Amino acid sequence: MDELRDPRKTFGEALTEAAQKNNKIVALSADSSSGSGMTPFKEKFPERHFEFGIMEQGIMGFASGLATTGKIPFFAAIAPFVTARPFEMFRNDLGYMRQNVKVVGRSAGLTYSDLGATHQSLDDIAIVRTIPGVTVINPGDPVDIVKAVHAAAEHIGPVYIKIGSPKMPVLMDENYPFKIGKGVVMEEGNDITIIATGTLLSKAVVATKLLQNKGIHPRLINMHTIKPLDKELVLKAAEETGKIVTIEEGYLAGGLGSCIAELLIKEHPVPMKMIGVDDQYADAGPYEELLAHLGLQGVQIADTVEQFLHGN
Amino acid sequence: MKKLNHEEEIKLKRIAVQIRKNILRMIKAGRTGHVGGALSCADIMTALYFKIMRVDPQTPDWPERDRFVLSAGHKCLALYGTLAQKGFFEKSLLDTYGALGTKLGGHPDMHKLPGVETNTGALGHGLSIAGGMALGLRMDSLDAKVYVVMGDGELAEGSNWEAAAAISHHKLDNILAFIDRNTLQISGRTVDVMSYEPLDKRWEAFGWSVRVIDGNDMQQIFENATDIPFEKGKPSMMIADTVKSKGLPFAEDKVNFHYWKATDEELEVAEQALRQIEEGIE
Repeated sequence: MDELRDPRKTFGEALTEAAQKNNKIVALSADSSSGSGMTPFKEKFPERHFEFGIMEQGIMGFASGLATTGKIPFFAAIAPFVTARPFEMFRNDLGYMRQNVKVVGRSAGLTYSDLGATHQSLDDIAIVRTIPGVTVINPGDPVDIVKAVHAAAEHIGPVYIKIGSPKMPVLMDENYPFKIGKGVVMEEGNDITIIATGTLLSKAVVATKLLQNKGIHPRLINMHTIKPLDKELVLKAAEETGKIVTIEEGYLAGGLGSCIAELLIKEHPVPMKMIGVDDQYADAGPYEELLAHLGLQGVQIADTVEQFLHGN
Repeated sequence: MKKLNHEEEIKLKRIAVQIRKNILRMIKAGRTGHVGGALSCADIMTALYFKIMRVDPQTPDWPERDRFVLSAGHKCLALYGTLAQKGFFEKSLLDTYGALGTKLGGHPDMHKLPGVETNTGALGHGLSIAGGMALGLRMDSLDAKVYVVMGDGELAEGSNWEAAAAISHHKLDNILAFIDRNTLQISGRTVDVMSYEPLDKRWEAFGWSVRVIDGNDMQQIFENATDIPFEKGKPSMMIADTVKSKGLPFAEDKVNFHYWKATDEELEVAEQALRQIEEGIE
């Protein structure tokens, strides 16, 4: 977990590589190309890179129209501006029309921490997952980002990928078999299950180590795909460990924790603890400090898990 | 400019009546529908599908076909009536309008009916989608064109103006958009509800080449819509002055026929009116 990589640069390089293999891939920019890591794509494939300026609603429509002609558009920009702002276009032009478009919300969660609530994106998972037929991927580390980009390019249908801004630790094996809709058990354990997604996976890894040092053995799952949810893995964890904690850099309302609660309440109810951001506009400030302020650092997560395990 | 000869004009006018009859047939089945805007654009639809556009009902997904985007999706009765007339699907489907599970919903669904290119209904989406189609066709060096029908009330949606700028910026001159300027929307005259006039100046300012025509005159539609782009390197905009509910004298230019809940008596009068128009074509 020592090596850190820039998620946006990682995304842009993976996209360029995918585009090398598949000439149907085009990149769309809302004055957001360089900030989204797409400069290498633009340099390598200038005829497949289109700048539109700051008009995210219209770009969704352009992406849909391009997809009707067989192109595979990747549209990357700051997460709230590709989810909350053009939500109706995402739903109708991509979801309802079932178009093969990939939307990448970058600098997501709290990772644009200093810019405040307008630029943070805590609701993107909750709103995008309501759209039937849209795959929602929240990669947990740079390896996941690369694999998610290639998997999204090969998957036929609309996909949303959420990535952060600050450099991320490498957590996953470069050769592991990433599959959309299949979570990954990173640590075996039967005392409790921690299911983490996206940028907070690294904090969940820290928390798991702290708990292990205390003799508590959580099962740690990297749930890189929110939709479709890996129901089998969640139900198995519920049955075998009896308690579930979810961790995400997003609102509790509608996020990963909600998805899992919706499943468990129907299939196998067990006590749950949902860790994330609860119904508030987060403050602006340095990212790591902001996470600590919201109880989202590894040591805080470990404490919450331990208390929950002991019945509090 | 190419012109329709007399025979061609008569033929298209007869088809336009058939399409209006198809619209009535659906209203008769479903009892309600957005009739006013469907009837105002019916002549444009006729000219496009029966004289201008390159489409083949037998191969609706032919890659080189011209595309049609009904941005004002609530005018779908005109689209369904036209596609049925052109042979994209059986006319008997028209009788399912309004029924549970119909393929002819109150707004079009491309996955349910052959010939429907987009799912529209929420206003202000179609022009951007058309822009993407035009860009994709140009990338593939196909000479197919993209035709769009928008409403005039629809222009208050800001997303249209994003599309207007981007289509012009990217010099997509393989688009012809019509604004079906019937001057009415739900709450009254478009200029009173939210005026975007002067439309010609606004679209010119956005980089489009603009023509203004009588959108219920078959000859004018044909003459102006066949030589696109109007100017090389620019998208083409046809501001089509039309009459809402055109063809039904009791409903023409009346705001309350935007969405019609038809009575048996009204339907009878409407059918009679269309018969008279048909008989008067010469």
